[in-house]
Amino acid sequence: MNEDTVLKPAPDVRFRIVDGEAVVVRQRSSEVLVMSEVAARILTLADGVRPIGAWVETLAAEYEVDRATLEQDVLRFAAELAAEGILE
Amino acid sequence: MSFSEVLRKTWRDNLLFSVLVELTYRCNLDCFFCYNALGLRGERMSTEQYFRFFDALRDLEVLNLTLSGGEPLAHPDFMKLGARARELGFVVRVKSNGHALRGEMARRLRDEVDPFLIEVSLHGSTAATHDRQTRVPGSFERLLANLREVLDLGMRVKINSTLTRWNEDEAEGMLDLADSLGLQIQIDPEVTPRDDGGREPLSIAPTREGVHRLFALQARRAAEAGANLSIAHGADDGTLPAPVEKHCGAGSAGIAVDPFGNVYPCVQWRRPVGNLHRQPIREIWTGSAGLREVREITAGAKRIVDGYGPSGSFLNFCPGSAATRTGDPLAIYPEAVLRMEETEKAFGAEKKKVLLPILS
Repeated sequence: MNEDTVLKPAPDVRFRIVDGEAVVVRQRSSEVLVMSEVAARILTLADGVRPIGAWVETLAAEYEVDRATLEQDVLRFAAELAAEGILE
Repeated sequence: MSFSEVLRKTWRDNLLFSVLVELTYRCNLDCFFCYNALGLRGERMSTEQYFRFFDALRDLEVLNLTLSGGEPLAHPDFMKLGARARELGFVVRVKSNGHALRGEMARRLRDEVDPFLIEVSLHGSTAATHDRQTRVPGSFERLLANLREVLDLGMRVKINSTLTRWNEDEAEGMLDLADSLGLQIQIDPEVTPRDDGGREPLSIAPTREGVHRLFALQARRAAEAGANLSIAHGADDGTLPAPVEKHCGAGSAGIAVDPFGNVYPCVQWRRPVGNLHRQPIREIWTGSAGLREVREITAGAKRIVDGYGPSGSFLNFCPGSAATRTGDPLAIYPEAVLRMEETEKAFGAEKKKVLLPILS
């Protein structure tokens, strides 16, 4: 997982942003997850086209955070979502 | 935040979350107690209009989209519409009578629409009773064959049933049948008038004894299973919100749309609050005076139900059904009271928490 990695939601994942939070449904397992505002933003950025590096650029423009810390956090979170099978 | 809290927020803050679309009133069965207003006329929604409507729902962050009817599979562009719904990321449910769910149709449904859930209707545990209600000979055997085929394809199915005077002696048989297929079943003890107010369906409403036996049966089965469940009511999609100041999510988190673009607070509450031929859904959702009134009524219904004290949790009261039955969405109608009394008899005395299939 690095800045060039391209990810998108897994085929059985459905999600919507409700008042800033992500409601994620995994169709195969009937599982519903509620995720934070940042997770919601990342899910919307994971379009299967833009690499993670582009997400970081976008988020850096939206949040006043240290660029290096943001990059680490985004990479870690993307890896977690991929490990959970939500992104692929 | 939990999912329950998210749902509470959708009810409280009027965030549209679940939409039921009646694509057509065409049907390949002829159920005696069908609630559709088959005489309703108007300009049908075109496929292109549905596409634009779905886009707008996507923009409003609607998650749940139920395709219903009539028989939704009878809509000539059902697969196109279902595929579009999938592409837009909705959690798609299909409410079907199951009669056409086989062969190429079933495979296409899986491959092109990929629904989260298919809800099919069962009207009895025997061909005689099921076919009597559907008024189509052979429909029972065909449904069972189709269910096995759909399950073999790996799709998730739930059985919906309505308790009637004709099938109330077969409630246990229907539960057994669902068990034998490995399927969840929900038996609704309320027969409703037709959407146009016609009362013919009520002639086969279940008897008090039938409702009593159903609840006693469910209580016994729940006890045998060691169920630790909770009373469920209020959400079309089977989800339960945390406590909120409204009785249900009608017009607050959900709407229904008929084939002619009329928008209603709920599939059971046929009070038009807008029409998609004249206004986009966002305008209706944010600007309809009718919806504002509906939201106030559901808050009023909550206060009335709360007035029953602990028994209120057993009062499966539906403002939409009340409006159709009496003209007053806040009138507690006798059938709701009957169910409350019978539920208390079956479950309340032992203070058990049991999931009742009474989602309105």
